Amino acid sequence: MTRARIFFTGVGGQGTLTATTLLARTALDAGLPVTSGEIHGMAQRGGVVESTLLVGGYKSAIIAPGEADVILGFELLETLRALPMLKRGGFVVGNSEALQPVGVCLGRECYPPLEAVLETAKGFAAQVVLIPCISLAEQAGTAKAANTVLLGAAAACGALPFSVADLTRSIEKYLKPKLVDVNLKALALGAEAAKAGQAA
Amino acid sequence: MGKELLKNEGGDTLLLLGNEAIVRGTLEGGVRFVTCYPGTPSSEVPDTFFRLSQGAPYYFEYSVNEKVALEVAGGATLAGLPSLCTMKHVGVNVAADPLMTLAYVSAPGGLVLLSADDPGCHSSQNEQDNRIYARLGGLPCFEPATAQECKDMARDALLLSRKLETPVLLRTTTRVNHVRGPVVTGDLPATPYEKPFVKDPAKYVPLPASARVMHKRLRAILDGLVAQSDASPYNVESGAGELGFISSGVSRNYLADVLEEEGLVGKVRLLELGMTYPLPENRIAAFLSACKKVLIVEELEPVLENEIRALAQARGIAVEILGKSEHLPRLGEFSTANVRQAVRAFVGQPAAAVDALTVPADLPRRPPNLCAGCPHRAAYYAVREVYGDNAVYSSDIGCYTLGFLPPFRAADFLLCMGSSISTGAGFARASGKPVVAFIGDSTFFHSGITGLIDAVAYKHDVLIVILDNRTTAMTGHQPNPGVDTTIFGENPNPVDLMALIRACGVEPVKVNPLNHKATLTALTELSKQTGPRVLVAEYPCPIHARRVGQAKKTLPARVAGDPAACLAVRDNLACPAFAMVDGQFTINAEQCDGCMFCVQLSPDLKPGKKEAK
Repeated sequence: MTRARIFFTGVGGQGTLTATTLLARTALDAGLPVTSGEIHGMAQRGGVVESTLLVGGYKSAIIAPGEADVILGFELLETLRALPMLKRGGFVVGNSEALQPVGVCLGRECYPPLEAVLETAKGFAAQVVLIPCISLAEQAGTAKAANTVLLGAAAACGALPFSVADLTRSIEKYLKPKLVDVNLKALALGAEAAKAGQAA
Repeated sequence: MGKELLKNEGGDTLLLLGNEAIVRGTLEGGVRFVTCYPGTPSSEVPDTFFRLSQGAPYYFEYSVNEKVALEVAGGATLAGLPSLCTMKHVGVNVAADPLMTLAYVSAPGGLVLLSADDPGCHSSQNEQDNRIYARLGGLPCFEPATAQECKDMARDALLLSRKLETPVLLRTTTRVNHVRGPVVTGDLPATPYEKPFVKDPAKYVPLPASARVMHKRLRAILDGLVAQSDASPYNVESGAGELGFISSGVSRNYLADVLEEEGLVGKVRLLELGMTYPLPENRIAAFLSACKKVLIVEELEPVLENEIRALAQARGIAVEILGKSEHLPRLGEFSTANVRQAVRAFVGQPAAAVDALTVPADLPRRPPNLCAGCPHRAAYYAVREVYGDNAVYSSDIGCYTLGFLPPFRAADFLLCMGSSISTGAGFARASGKPVVAFIGDSTFFHSGITGLIDAVAYKHDVLIVILDNRTTAMTGHQPNPGVDTTIFGENPNPVDLMALIRACGVEPVKVNPLNHKATLTALTELSKQTGPRVLVAEYPCPIHARRVGQAKKTLPARVAGDPAACLAVRDNLACPAFAMVDGQFTINAEQCDGCMFCVQLSPDLKPGKKEAK
């Protein structure tokens, strides 16, 4: 049976939890045992939002350092911060675009460059794919679909135990009808960008 | 998750949050009366009941505080209705007075108290272990570990409570409340349960003479429950061998995954406990007798460990019992990582090396921040302008606790919900220093008002700033007694905050904190006075206003003049809509709420034009 520990990280308001739940439903529909964990509370106040999805029979809904088969990073700095969770040979699929934390906005701290993620994970991760999720989501119709762009990318590069077609079905089945089209577009753009990124 | 939770027929597999599963479980147990005070990690339980409350088969209220919530639910169970009362762990302290006598007085209709504990202090001021309350108050206790168990145990806790007419504790932890997993539902009861009240004061009024009898009755119930705990399907044994593990709650999950990954399943003995008070003593004794060495895996206090040690001693069982240790600390949460090391040490394996990446420790942090447009930012700014570091700031619990962070640094100490006024008063009396006490509207109703009465009665020299954002913002915008509007429309019976303060004996001053000049004038005036003073800084939370459809259409602020001249405003407000782009200060129009507070502080900032984005 496919077993996978997937770690999600992002910033409040990015749809991290929505994406987690969509993947959990996809796993259930595929007949896979699933458990998922979220931390609520400060999510609305611009803090870090982390969640987990464990597929294939795990009982725990949390992931310890070095255990994540996949890191899905909805924001670049948070992807970097989460790298210690990654298992050797795991996948990192992340958003290459930044949401500046307050210290950076105020000019007190420096935002790390994109290369920091690539260099840290080099030789440890099987694959690191970073794509501009927010820009691609805007291209699809709304920046709010950036989470779906990332899911499309993750499925296309083989990081998830699901295909892009599985996710397409879930979007059609579980999202509000008026959100389906834009999210399908976002999913496809994410998948395309990931494949292009892998080829490069 | 919506109406499917109210569906009569069971058999569905739903993907539920632990807290949603608790809702379904108590509905399956026939719950008809629900009270609460919200608080992470419990809030989705009452919030789900509230959302589904119109036309639902139960009464629901967000009570004014946890004590009131438990007393109201206590009245309902005395009247014969199956009842649920929910709160976070520290809320149980507020409700501890009625709780300690509730089990004496009994719960004829059944009553489940949900205590959502928070190991690791994810969103709490402490990490107390409320399993101890089960022992102190005499409440049978269930500890679920999965979403399915949340549903099943919530149901069975209520059914057990109804049957024994005694209150039952459902004790969860953050990771269980916020787990999401498949839940197979059962049917809802076909007929509503009720046990009509029959007057019997000797049974229900704990005067000294009757209280002694009640205590005896309670102990008899709990003693009788040991056999039921021994036979409980939630207390499960598996495996074989001389090495044993006993675990409860969320630790069971970590232990199960570790045993699986370490190839130990079946080779060691495992006793998993779901019904944890009273303990299944005979079951545990037999388990201990079969083992040479037992490791107790439980988060926080050594509750099981101490009771199991006592049991082994009492029964004369020679077994080595291990528990709290370097790997299984008394502090914080467990994880597969520390449980793995503890298991390996226990079975005599070398410590597992963790193969993981490291990242710089000094990455920019992303602390939670007051939202763009938050009226608390404006209130804090004005208070700092008047007092700076000359006042001592007594803080309280709510979004405004975030005023702790720079640039406001408006929290010097905090004890608990509602403490800012009374603790501030005591500090002022003892030190003679100027004290400003901050408190939110919901927290004021919760337990701040008693501090105000005390401050009036003893003329404590404290300036109380009530940050009234017309909702209980921090925990998810639940209504409180003072709100104008809820998701169901206008509040028909709002409590008049101003009249309440006046009745306590202080003439409050009310301002809109987003009007800087007026707020500053009021604060300057109040700072010259002595004794208890109250400033009500009233403006709706922008998130709440949007949710109830009352947000005003506004334009974003923009930099109209010299960006370099706006840096003081940037540093003093730390609004999330502020950004530095290519080294230059700008306002992110997408993020800006249009509160227009910053434009009052700098001539270089102006309201945006319509075409500006």
